[in-house]
Amino acid sequence: MRTTFRSLLAALAVTPLLAGCFATGDSGSSPDGQAGRLRVALAVPPVQALSPYSNDATVLSKLSVAEGLTALGKDGAATPALASSWTRRNATTWVFELRKATFQDGSQVTAESVVNALDHANAAKTKPRVLSDVTLTAQAEDADTVTISTKSPDPVLPLRLASPALAILATKAYATDGTVSPVGTGTGPFAITKLTGKTAATLDRFDGYWGGRAKASGIDVTWIADGTARANALRSGEVDIAEWIPTAQAKLLDQATRHEVPSVRTDSLVLNTGSGIFADPSLRAAAREAVDGSALVDSVFGGYADPAQGLFGPAVSWAADKRVAVTGRATAATPAQVGSKTNGRTVRLATYTNRAELPEAATVLQQQLEKAGFRVRQDVREYTQMEADLLAGRYDALVFSRVTLLDTGDAVAYLASDFTSNGVYNIAGLKDAKVDQAIATAAKEGDTAKRQQEIMRAEAEILRTDAVVPLVHEKVVQGISTDVEGVLLDPRERSLIDVDTHLK
Amino acid sequence: MSSAPSTDADARSARWRAGVGRAAAGTALLAAVALLPWLSGTDPALTVLRARSADQDPTPAQLAAVREQLGLDEGPLRHLATWLGGLPYGDAGTSWVSGEPVLPQVAAALAVSVTLMFGAFVVTIVVAALVSARTLYLGSRRRLRQGRAGTGAAAVAALPKFLLASLLATLFGVWLGWFPSSGWEGPGSMVLPALALGVPSGAMIGGLLDQALPATLNEPWVRTWHGFGFPPGYLARHALRRTLAGVLPQLLPTVVALVGGAVAVEKIFNIPGLGRLALDAAVAQDLPPLQTATLVLVLLGVAAGLLIQAVRRALLGPALRDGALPALHAPALSRSRSTRWAAGCCALALLTLVVAGLLRDPLQVDTAARLLPPSAAHPLGTDALGRDLLARLGHGAVRTAGVAVAVTAVSTLIGLLLATAGKVSAGLTEVMSTLPAVLVGLLTTAVTGPSVWGAAGAVCVVGWTPYAAQAAALLEQERASGHLHASISLGAGPAHLLRRHLLPAVLPAVLRNALLRLPTTVLVLASLGFLGLGEQPPTPEWGRLLLENQPYAELAPWTVLGPACALVLLSVLAVAGVASGRRAALPG
Repeated sequence: MRTTFRSLLAALAVTPLLAGCFATGDSGSSPDGQAGRLRVALAVPPVQALSPYSNDATVLSKLSVAEGLTALGKDGAATPALASSWTRRNATTWVFELRKATFQDGSQVTAESVVNALDHANAAKTKPRVLSDVTLTAQAEDADTVTISTKSPDPVLPLRLASPALAILATKAYATDGTVSPVGTGTGPFAITKLTGKTAATLDRFDGYWGGRAKASGIDVTWIADGTARANALRSGEVDIAEWIPTAQAKLLDQATRHEVPSVRTDSLVLNTGSGIFADPSLRAAAREAVDGSALVDSVFGGYADPAQGLFGPAVSWAADKRVAVTGRATAATPAQVGSKTNGRTVRLATYTNRAELPEAATVLQQQLEKAGFRVRQDVREYTQMEADLLAGRYDALVFSRVTLLDTGDAVAYLASDFTSNGVYNIAGLKDAKVDQAIATAAKEGDTAKRQQEIMRAEAEILRTDAVVPLVHEKVVQGISTDVEGVLLDPRERSLIDVDTHLK
Repeated sequence: MSSAPSTDADARSARWRAGVGRAAAGTALLAAVALLPWLSGTDPALTVLRARSADQDPTPAQLAAVREQLGLDEGPLRHLATWLGGLPYGDAGTSWVSGEPVLPQVAAALAVSVTLMFGAFVVTIVVAALVSARTLYLGSRRRLRQGRAGTGAAAVAALPKFLLASLLATLFGVWLGWFPSSGWEGPGSMVLPALALGVPSGAMIGGLLDQALPATLNEPWVRTWHGFGFPPGYLARHALRRTLAGVLPQLLPTVVALVGGAVAVEKIFNIPGLGRLALDAAVAQDLPPLQTATLVLVLLGVAAGLLIQAVRRALLGPALRDGALPALHAPALSRSRSTRWAAGCCALALLTLVVAGLLRDPLQVDTAARLLPPSAAHPLGTDALGRDLLARLGHGAVRTAGVAVAVTAVSTLIGLLLATAGKVSAGLTEVMSTLPAVLVGLLTTAVTGPSVWGAAGAVCVVGWTPYAAQAAALLEQERASGHLHASISLGAGPAHLLRRHLLPAVLPAVLRNALLRLPTTVLVLASLGFLGLGEQPPTPEWGRLLLENQPYAELAPWTVLGPACALVLLSVLAVAGVASGRRAALPG
């Protein structure tokens, strides 16, 4: 008996030794001593080992690991990247001239490797979103010229090619089983040398970068999904840069480390026009008049948002000047009419927990709607738990946070998927001929300025239907230590660190 | 029901039955998990697509591509068969989301979680030792005159783990910088999470131990040994050995369950553990990792259960086998007045809270009055939407306490029933006790859809394990006691035995366990909210108050202090109230 006791005690004494069993180990992360390395906390852990065809693609562009033929400029236009220039040969064919560049594995960027990369993106199981509405064929004309043709005219092809999903990787990145590994196969100033599960990655400077040598010698990435933990990591000095600080934590950050960026994300109240209470336009109008997004700005968003001006906010720089006034809206029902028209039915107000601000916003909106005579019941769940219900229209209103400039950086993609009759993401169930037509017109327009004007006309058409009531335009808070210089504050959340980012 | 397995044949058949129980429970569980997407009616192609890419449009073509890639049309049985077929070769399939082999991921996460669990175990032992030290010290010197209600232990055990985790991360990680605030990069990273997990567990185990010790210390042999002049340390050790045997099974649902059930703490400290892996896989309906994680948890539960059983047998030894244990009966110790005072004060405080709160509006949103500190207008302050916290606590009290008490009562009843059912249930207990409530919640939602009763049902499905484990252990001891054999020889039937001997021996300890676990039940119920289970917001409910205000814990501590204190009050009231009630019922 006594022996059992002793062995038990011995076992307990051994437990601290077991503490050596740390799955990630600390071999990957570099000691603080190594000069010039940036430590970054990112929010969304990799889902497919940083494959460009998944969510992880943005990591590749955020950390300047891989590049496409083009890049997105500040004004939303395409700028040269691996392609030094391009011309439109005819309606469906574009010619891209490649610059002299080297992959991180030492091989040269050639027309062949570009064609190979684009072919793989085209053939990927579950096509990247950016290719969902276009079929492109790439051909090598000579060693450094690539022609890309599309089935139907695509005026935004150069914007499309800036998508991180169409990053050009070295031939060895593409495995026969369809997986893609960007580890050491990009062309950017930083090369991934090690990826540790979903927790960490190590990046070293790639000295052969065509755009010059990066100022930082490397990047140590940690993925911290919890916003509070990310803020804590920055505050305790464990990382130099922490992206997406939740608004609830932002005030805890030192003023000098808090950087706000207007985001292309717009939060809105989507009303189900297909069935239920809000199939009635006058009730939609009543809801639109009842809700006041500006009440959310200083409360729920702690000041890190702008009151909504439309679907597109200040982060879309051209939107404000081209905005079209909304006319022809339905007359709102008075509270008494709301009472009789809803006839005791309850508004099922849905939202999801993935973004902490949305449930709070829903509660504020509930009160606003109740003042207008509606009876409201909330349904709050994790997004994947409710998406099928949303797409099937089993709700009346949804507080929704949506990126308005998707992969392409072109607003038409968002409008088409969310508001056209046959849009795949048409949660509002909107079927309106004028809206369809306005969006189709915008999609056809090739000239940038005219296209933007058409987009704003489509916005007005959509707002006229009251299928969506914009609430706020979100701002993103990036936490950046005062020791770091040159972090990119990108409204599209596609770039963060580039050649010039460095420790002071 | 055999009264005491005294022959080898009996023992063998008992072991056999326990094995059958384990196999049956494990198989049923794995089958349920494998059927999850087909039960839930949510297309796994959609959830997998969403997990891979948040912006991906769910076009029919895309969904078909995912379905074809994963072979979803082949149905659940084919999948389960393929997965099972690969296991003997060390192949647990590839993740549907990432396309990477599952086994290395699960093994790495398991290593992390088990290490963390050991850390929490050490803390648990230290805290439990501190809680029961006084009783052991005085008792081994035969100076134990006054019993304790264990209100202190109840208060500590009521502390929400995620709140403790947030507090420790802020205090020691950010402000003082003594330990890393997050990550898993060395023994230093383990200190804070182990404390957050271990302190409440330790208080729970310690509380149970502290209540069981006086009975042991009241046994004749202690008096005899004391009379012989054996040193107190020697007495204490043997008293501990005797008492531990009844408390040890609690380690399974309290500490071992942390391997899969510490999701909140894993998130706060960014630990790549098994809990998060299983949750992510479950939400994405990514079956191969989910099945593997479930299997690992089941095996872990069974292994830990067998180990605990072995240790218990080693501790009690031949006495258990030969039916020579004396019955444990608590001495009629006088309770200190402070217990009644504590109960009275808690009752008064809670009553004031509820009455004052009920007079106010819990739903009135006032965005201008956001996060106001306590003042005359808002005695407990306001939350992030300017709602009055006192009102929300008051309005939530009856609902919270009602549901938690009901769930606990049902769980206790199930636990007691299964414990009396004998050996078959031991396997079931082991299998279920390491299962995270969230997983059961997902299965429940799959069957019932999001509903108010879903949460309560889900928690009942896993909540009974601590009581079953405890009751089974105590029953085994009681059945091995000499006086039970005497009763049987005098012709007592099973009903008489149950009513006069078994239940009285088991009930007080199980009741106390249930009361100590009341706050945990509240929090587990609330933690299922993201699945759409339970009351929907903005209905006030204490667990939800804690969860929704957690992000503001540092900016506006009163938003979480109020609900946390209310939980502690509830727990202390329950424990102290029952303690003084029992004393009043005792003659003399």
